[in-house]
Amino acid sequence: MSAGMNRSQGLSSLKRKQPDSKSPIESLTEHERILYNLIRSKQDMAIWTRDMKRETNIPDNVLNKSLKSLQAKKLIKEVVTIQNKGRKHYIATEFEPSKEITGGAWYVEGSLDTEFINFLKKHCVKIIYEQKIVTLEEILDTIRRSRAFNVEFTTQQIEEIVNALVLDNEILEVKSTGMGEFNSIPIGKVCYRCASKAGLKAEPKIGAMASIPCGVCPQISLCTPDGIISPTTCVYYTKWLDF
Amino acid sequence: MATPYGIKLAVHLITNHFGTLVAKVCDNLLRRGPLTLQQVIRYTELTPQQVKNSLLILIQHNCVQAFTLESQGGFGDGPKANTQYLALFSNILHRMRFPKFLEIVSRELDQECKELLEGLLQNGRLTLVQMVERAKSKRKDGCREDAVREGLTKLLAAHFVERCPAPEPLVPEQVKVETTSKKRGTKSAKINEESETIEQRVLAAAGPMEAQRFSMITNTEFDVNGETSTDDSPSLIVGEKRKRDSLELDRESTAEEGEVVLWRANFEEFLRRLRHMACIENVRASLDDGAVKVLKAKLDATRGLEKKVKTEKSDLKKIIESAQNDEVESIVLKRYGRDAYRIFRLLSKNGRLVETDKISDTTFVEKKDAPKILYKMWKDEYLHMEKLVLAPNRNILLWKVNKRPLWEHVLDEMFHAALNLSLRAAYEWDKEKEVINPLEAMTKEERLKQKNIRILLDSSLLKLDDAIMLFHNF
Repeated sequence: MSAGMNRSQGLSSLKRKQPDSKSPIESLTEHERILYNLIRSKQDMAIWTRDMKRETNIPDNVLNKSLKSLQAKKLIKEVVTIQNKGRKHYIATEFEPSKEITGGAWYVEGSLDTEFINFLKKHCVKIIYEQKIVTLEEILDTIRRSRAFNVEFTTQQIEEIVNALVLDNEILEVKSTGMGEFNSIPIGKVCYRCASKAGLKAEPKIGAMASIPCGVCPQISLCTPDGIISPTTCVYYTKWLDF
Repeated sequence: MATPYGIKLAVHLITNHFGTLVAKVCDNLLRRGPLTLQQVIRYTELTPQQVKNSLLILIQHNCVQAFTLESQGGFGDGPKANTQYLALFSNILHRMRFPKFLEIVSRELDQECKELLEGLLQNGRLTLVQMVERAKSKRKDGCREDAVREGLTKLLAAHFVERCPAPEPLVPEQVKVETTSKKRGTKSAKINEESETIEQRVLAAAGPMEAQRFSMITNTEFDVNGETSTDDSPSLIVGEKRKRDSLELDRESTAEEGEVVLWRANFEEFLRRLRHMACIENVRASLDDGAVKVLKAKLDATRGLEKKVKTEKSDLKKIIESAQNDEVESIVLKRYGRDAYRIFRLLSKNGRLVETDKISDTTFVEKKDAPKILYKMWKDEYLHMEKLVLAPNRNILLWKVNKRPLWEHVLDEMFHAALNLSLRAAYEWDKEKEVINPLEAMTKEERLKQKNIRILLDSSLLKLDDAIMLFHNF
């Protein structure tokens, strides 16, 4: 993965676009006008084509033609919603789709931008591993100076990523004692360190229960000593013992 | 606590060691709580003699404790006493861990002590005379009486062995809070904790006094209490009047005037050692060696003290809780995946109800996937769910991790898994033994494979048992 990750689409949703100065509103047909007003009324929530049909009773072919025309005139645009990716939604161009329908900064075209998120997570872990103990601001600063990304992150965004890493148990959140390794950090301030001594390559220890078939079995509640699902007939056991 | 599969596991252990009749008696006691002899006979539908023998065996092996509950009789009658039998769930489970106890003694003391302990574990309880006889029969070389005595002394000093409790102590009735009786007004009847309290009360009444518990000196030499104390008669078996419906417990006649002490393994001490070992292991994984040394020294220092259990337990509490969290999170990770792992950890740390949207945002899980994952965990009783109805068409789901019920549920699953491992091991062992036709005899590879299978199953059970102790005993 190259260092210069392009990440303009989702994060740019934070910026607002200006509508066209020369809006050709005057040249709309009656149907187009009705539809345009309806779409505009929904503001940043957008509206599904079927809902438009229901509310205006405009027949399908006219509806589609009107929408195409409005799009061409750059008055409306299509958006993907995270809840219903398959359904066509439209929004007036002067609005940016709300977080509720896009999912937020980390979503791209209705899905989580997992690739980008994982890349960013790995980058943060590396920073924490290299600096041993680090505050949120220091992480942000390091990212900025590294120029690995061509977008600016807010503190909140990096905090979200770091919190997810804590939940992954890859890093630990600790409070500075002001002493020892914390001596450059004010007392009480939250900072982060790698979860295990081994650092980047460490695998979390697998528990005793998780090491056996029963521990991971989805049917454990149905299993009985002499039932249809039982330890003696269990296929997971047979597989496990076939080494 | 005796969970459903905990009971099944306990009964399985008793069946393996003592047979189905004894197991039937044990099963009834575990499921129904303390029962009288008559009640056991009625529920098991066995003969009185069969039941008596079974109870004798269970008592001998410290799996059952007899007691009489003092209860006020009706108007005009004196207080009645009727012998009841209480199954000791934890002690039954310890039977899985005997190898671990032996290993501890082997490591800390010597071979002689280990053999003595082995005898105690195999027989449940022994007198010194019996121990000597057993040692004589095991070795061809001469009488080992002084070596046995020395071994026993070492074991007592380390608290690995203790005097057996009173065979049928009188347990005073719990006084409910009444305005009239001010004397014992502090003791109130906790109805919902009654079954746990009964075991605690019985064991407290049965146990020898701390001064006597690990002492070789018998009452003949050191008659402090005299024989008149009725509710505090430590370990004297012979010469006690038998009560109605009670059993004739094992009597050992010796050359001396009928004063015989029975000894048994002190499970409490072995658990303490295992708890320490587990905590040290857990600390070692997350902190540096210096911290490990400090902890070890601290635990060693508290070993000799008497009232150590409470303060020690609170010190180790954090380490144990952390180990328990790790174990449950590991199950979630392996069973439901990485996304579920993050979700579970979020809810577990948070401790409060969180709505679905907030969960998917914080854990970076697709908004469409989060509900499915949450639902799966809820269905398997790993999460608690509440529904908030805002409007006819607008429901919000809130999720939470309730640790106490979850820990009990996980423990039951562990008991279930331990039972499964045990049953599968027996099944594999039977498969090996079923070779009838010499032509069908196993090849070298097959035999090696079966051996490896047995090793895997046995070691998995030992490892799982460590986790069981973590949730049940520590």
